[in-house]
Amino acid sequence: MPFSIDCRDKCTREINRLLREAIAEGHEHIELQYPDARHNLAVALLRPVRVVVNGSVGYYCGGMMDGGHIEVHGSAGWGAAEAMLNGTLLIDGNAGSGVAASIRGGVVVVRGDAAARAGVAMKGGTLLIGGNCGYMAGFMMQKGRMVICGDAGDALADSMYEGVVFVGGRIASLGNDAVIEEPTAEDRAWLHELLVTYRVPGPTAFRKVVSGRKLWNFDRREWEIWRAAL
Amino acid sequence: MCGIVGFLDKHGQTVPPLGQTLLTMLQALSCRGPDSAGVALFGEGGTLQLRLSVPPDIERQTLNEALQEEHLTLVRSYGAGVHDVRIAAEVDLTELERRIQQRLPGSEVLCLGEHISLFKQVGSPDDLEAAYRISTLHGTHGIGHTRMSTESRVDLSHSQPFWAHGVADLATVHNGHITNYHKLRRRFEQEGYRFYTDNDSEVIGVYLRDRLAAGRSLEGALRSSLEDFDGSFCYLAATKDQLGFVKDRFGFKPLMLAETEDFVALATEEIALRRALGHDFPVYEPPPGAMRLWSIHAETASLAAG
Repeated sequence: MPFSIDCRDKCTREINRLLREAIAEGHEHIELQYPDARHNLAVALLRPVRVVVNGSVGYYCGGMMDGGHIEVHGSAGWGAAEAMLNGTLLIDGNAGSGVAASIRGGVVVVRGDAAARAGVAMKGGTLLIGGNCGYMAGFMMQKGRMVICGDAGDALADSMYEGVVFVGGRIASLGNDAVIEEPTAEDRAWLHELLVTYRVPGPTAFRKVVSGRKLWNFDRREWEIWRAAL
Repeated sequence: MCGIVGFLDKHGQTVPPLGQTLLTMLQALSCRGPDSAGVALFGEGGTLQLRLSVPPDIERQTLNEALQEEHLTLVRSYGAGVHDVRIAAEVDLTELERRIQQRLPGSEVLCLGEHISLFKQVGSPDDLEAAYRISTLHGTHGIGHTRMSTESRVDLSHSQPFWAHGVADLATVHNGHITNYHKLRRRFEQEGYRFYTDNDSEVIGVYLRDRLAAGRSLEGALRSSLEDFDGSFCYLAATKDQLGFVKDRFGFKPLMLAETEDFVALATEEIALRRALGHDFPVYEPPPGAMRLWSIHAETASLAAG
């Protein structure tokens, strides 16, 4: 039997305290009922526990997590899994802006759509979006992999340093210094395994977006590139 | 950071009262801004009225004399110097407002129209409820605001919703910054519009008034504001029979939308929709650059037909 926390009539601080106490008592499967889109739920989980949230969550769910596993049976507000170090955050519905921003590791899965600025400044880990995503996804990404099964909005992967973005649908526009290259056989195998693992129905083919690396070093002779980027 | 809410009942009458729904939504968002709170409700039309805030140093006799001279009838007083006043004769609304302020220095017309009921004050949504019992107010649709001030004074004048001076039954609430406010304000002032506050959000009402005066529909005015306003904004506009939202092209400010067969509900955060309306409906965030306008008549007509 999972340990259950009814969020009604409780503030976020109280819910997270109960969650930490349950973890300290050794519970490995905890369910949150009636979360009602409260913010900051299940942040900073540092143990490999399974937290199931039955409903939508507000901002920063699972932020700063290291090794936990969270399933949200609903949608998530802004900044879900922000600065996560490791673990998994699975969102059944849609995700607000800035999902998986600055994550260093782990996997974030959004089965629906993601709003603007998905995966900005990712420093590792994987972000899988089953639907479409808004503009500026992957802005200044430094490492890690983002997979968008549907369409991507404007300025995709703008000014990314490193890392890779795979897109199954249309790309409204590429950001500065983002270039398309052919996926390798390893890429295709990895994509296939990822989609199967998380049971996300994806397209058969993906385009691969990487950094053109023209913004890595400033060169006065390339002033036009910089003027466009800035 | 502010919190804005909007609600439209497609059946035209709300159980619980519209005021209760708006209040619960605002309470859920009150941590986004404790400085001031307000609501504007719209319902059945009656007589043309205005709601007047009079400073405490003006004596009752002075108020009565001023009202008499302007052919205005006192209908109701709420305490804290807020009064409802009936407008008897056909008058120029802007001119009337100017004369009232001349006779009663420091007074302010909070709203004017046949359908609008606007309450606002410094303090939290809980304080607003304590002062005006807004949870008991009925209506078909309405908007609300809870404010964290960032650029202008914290007082009644600078609180929201803003009634659009000069236009009966038009009010707005705004979360964000209109960064070309000073430029727009200069232009509008040169064209003769008066600004009553230093709050950048006030320019939204002036802009809509100007566009409507130029013959544009409210929908057209909301749409063109996406091009004409700079900055971060989500704002709601409501008239006697319409409720609409506009979200800036960068999506800098959040706004969540839920629409069912029974209602349209909008709030800065989903937490407000869940607390006020429950769990049994999906909520989504409209994309950057989105705008939409609902008409209460269209919604009730389609329900009747369906």
